[in-house]
Amino acid sequence: MKKFDIIIIGGGHNGLVAASYLSKKNKKVLVIEKNENVGGLAEYANNLNCISPIITKELNINAANTNNTNHIISLEDHQNHTVLEDNNGKLSFIKTNADEHDQKNFLSIINNYKIFSKTLGSFMFKKPPRVKSGNKADILQLISMGWKVRKLGKKNMRELLRVIGLNIADDLEDNLSNNNLMGLLSHEAVLGTNLGPRSPGSILTLLYKQAINNNVFNFKNIEVADYINQLEESCNKNSVEIIKSTEVKKILTQDNSVTGVQLNNEEIFESTCVISNSDPKTTYLNLLGAEILDTDFIRRTKNFRSKGNVAKLELVFENDININGVANNMYGKFIYAPNIKYIEHAFNANKYNKYSENPCLEFYVNKNILSANVYYVPYLANSNHQENEIIKKCISILSKFITDMKISKEKLITPNAMEVKYNVAGGHWHHGDLEIDQLLMMRPFYGSAQYSTPINGLYLCSAGTHPGGGLTGINGINAAKKVIGDLK
Amino acid sequence: MNSSEISYKKPLLETPFHKRTSENCYSNNWYRWAGYKVVNEYSSIELEYTAVRNTAGVFDITPMHKYDIKGEDAKKFINKLITKDISNIQSNQVAYGIWCNEDGMVIDDGTIFCFNENHFRIFCAERNLNWFSDTATGFKVIIEDISTSIAALAFQGPLSCKILNLLKVNNIENLKPFHFDNYNIENHNVTISRTGFSGDLGYEIWCDPSQAIDVWDSLFKFNRDYKVLAAGMNALEMVRIEAGFIQPNVDFMSAEQALRPNRMRNPYELGLGWLVNLEKKYFTGKQALIRHKEKGLEKKLVGLDVEGDKPAVGSVLYDNSKKNQAKEIGIVTAAMWSPVLKSNIAIGFVNKEHYKLGSNVYAEIYHPEELDYRKIWAECKVVKRQFFNNPRRNAVPAFK
Repeated sequence: MKKFDIIIIGGGHNGLVAASYLSKKNKKVLVIEKNENVGGLAEYANNLNCISPIITKELNINAANTNNTNHIISLEDHQNHTVLEDNNGKLSFIKTNADEHDQKNFLSIINNYKIFSKTLGSFMFKKPPRVKSGNKADILQLISMGWKVRKLGKKNMRELLRVIGLNIADDLEDNLSNNNLMGLLSHEAVLGTNLGPRSPGSILTLLYKQAINNNVFNFKNIEVADYINQLEESCNKNSVEIIKSTEVKKILTQDNSVTGVQLNNEEIFESTCVISNSDPKTTYLNLLGAEILDTDFIRRTKNFRSKGNVAKLELVFENDININGVANNMYGKFIYAPNIKYIEHAFNANKYNKYSENPCLEFYVNKNILSANVYYVPYLANSNHQENEIIKKCISILSKFITDMKISKEKLITPNAMEVKYNVAGGHWHHGDLEIDQLLMMRPFYGSAQYSTPINGLYLCSAGTHPGGGLTGINGINAAKKVIGDLK
Repeated sequence: MNSSEISYKKPLLETPFHKRTSENCYSNNWYRWAGYKVVNEYSSIELEYTAVRNTAGVFDITPMHKYDIKGEDAKKFINKLITKDISNIQSNQVAYGIWCNEDGMVIDDGTIFCFNENHFRIFCAERNLNWFSDTATGFKVIIEDISTSIAALAFQGPLSCKILNLLKVNNIENLKPFHFDNYNIENHNVTISRTGFSGDLGYEIWCDPSQAIDVWDSLFKFNRDYKVLAAGMNALEMVRIEAGFIQPNVDFMSAEQALRPNRMRNPYELGLGWLVNLEKKYFTGKQALIRHKEKGLEKKLVGLDVEGDKPAVGSVLYDNSKKNQAKEIGIVTAAMWSPVLKSNIAIGFVNKEHYKLGSNVYAEIYHPEELDYRKIWAECKVVKRQFFNNPRRNAVPAFK
């Protein structure tokens, strides 16, 4: 029976960040990964905008910045696409059917959101304070959060408080008239959430994303695979033991404290500290077992909203792909969400656990390969998706913009498939919706915030914790710091 | 929508005994209990109370909530739910237990009948299906609300065993307290448990609703000599105060229903610490209860022996015999003049300086007297909550 200082369940990027950090503090760390490769859901990430300076500093990661000028192309049925250029965060229109007034307003909305997201971002990367703990540090942080909001100035603070619970459609319709532009921004707000453009809180999700990515649109500035490789190397260098293709069956406990983990092959590793990089639901209900958790806590675990609704589509064409009406040198991120109504209709199906008849798409083109995020394709608890039907619908949308489609290979990964492969309950990107009641000190839920759990020595570091998904690595590093703090 | 489908226009449900209870309910004084109507007072509370304490009284307790727990993890489930350890429970035994939330605050109490390792039945006053179902997560059990499929009577009083014996209920006198078994009352199959809310010898009779009227009639069969009376909720309230039993949402707020967190109570505060087994491996609220025990009590529910003969209903309790120097230290939750004990008794919360047995506290009683209140400053002695506890309650055989 082997003993470790710390065992990390799941070699997703947050697990690797935590492992790397802890091993640098001279801890004997074991990472157990279910799949053949580490990285977890990061495999599906089309884009990684920036790595937090905290990660680069603490772990010496230096992922190459591809640093291209990026384009965002919002497709439109009549081929009047809008093309935006993003030059290090500076946006400009290259082509659009919107009038000048709309163009100006569009950019000013984004700028306004940027101010708010910066305020949010300033407490994004810290350990969220615990309300009513009586702890001095928590109180100070709460005060500083309030102060940062107040520092926006009277006008901006009021505006932030006005929009924070608002739906994105209302705010856009107040300021814009061009459908394509409204669709584009609504898309950024609702992708990966269980919200439609008219759902309250959809501005908050946009601000949150903006805060995580440093930008309203996220691109591929950094190669995800390269980043994961560096993380793995950093772990190896610090002699973290990584076991792959091995699944954890149970977290072992005694008297409300962790004693180790049991693998599927019955092997047991001992440790008084376990960090779970699995999502909160899987961690509590499957790995730990509901039998040893309080009923109220189980209620909250079950009520944690974690229904994924984005599918990943990979199409391989026989020839290089040409998008009608877009010059080759402008290729970047393509979005098909032509107007608010279209997205809202697509969202309707999601409410009833059906996939959208007319889904929205976000895709990237690389020579003859097209990889797309398709939504809404909700996770189905008791049945399976008709994958061929969904692929057909996507192809029929794409055929509006790509003439002469000869597809040699097609593959759809639904939230159900993600759940099976990565043990993420609900197949949700962020392990749980990023909504106001599941954020900050309320993430994932009361009794489990600040990376801790009701079980002594068990911690969470997955996207289910603050600040959520989006490949920040902050979850991993914050959890690791919490562990070090508690071990002292 | 048909007006009868709207819930607030629906008449209250009638229990399977309704034909008999309504015939006897001269006062037409009904009480609303879990969607049913049951009798508050048939004709006179004094008569009903006197019957329960001297012969026997029959209470219709059909509206009690009843939950069947079946499956291979049934025992494990119960042990997670309640605060005491029932690992050693045997078939045909009844356990009294309470369940708490994660903060160690009491949600409800109930009796738990063990049919066998894989089949239990819980009887309780409040609805709990939601709580039980969430507690069952991860256990192989099926929880079913069987409230409507069982008719129930409480048959309480010193002559209850004698009358069952006259009805030729085989070997009923040897049924031990907190046990149950299947019996036959005049060709009707019933389940009888030696449990009850009166603090005296008494039984609870469970039968199929179709046999309810026959079983009811049987209990009154020897009335020429024994004067069994149907008794209502008011009489039940009297005997339960004398017995020192507590009621959720009367003596304490159920943690599932309290809106204000400081109104919830832990078992130690309710004097139910003996129902908590912190040695048990796991149950909901264990960690919180360990902390509560370490921290000690802020207040406790105690019995009060009140001076004079005016019931201290709803009284505020004070610490000083001089009214103008007194500080508030508690509140009375239930109070009555006890005819059988010839004393003025009450149940109430008092704070930690005053809950020791023998402490003196003072109640300000507002006694209504012909459209005016007489304000009485009554001395109260803190006593055991169990005011009435007759040895025949636990005697085996119950009747010679």
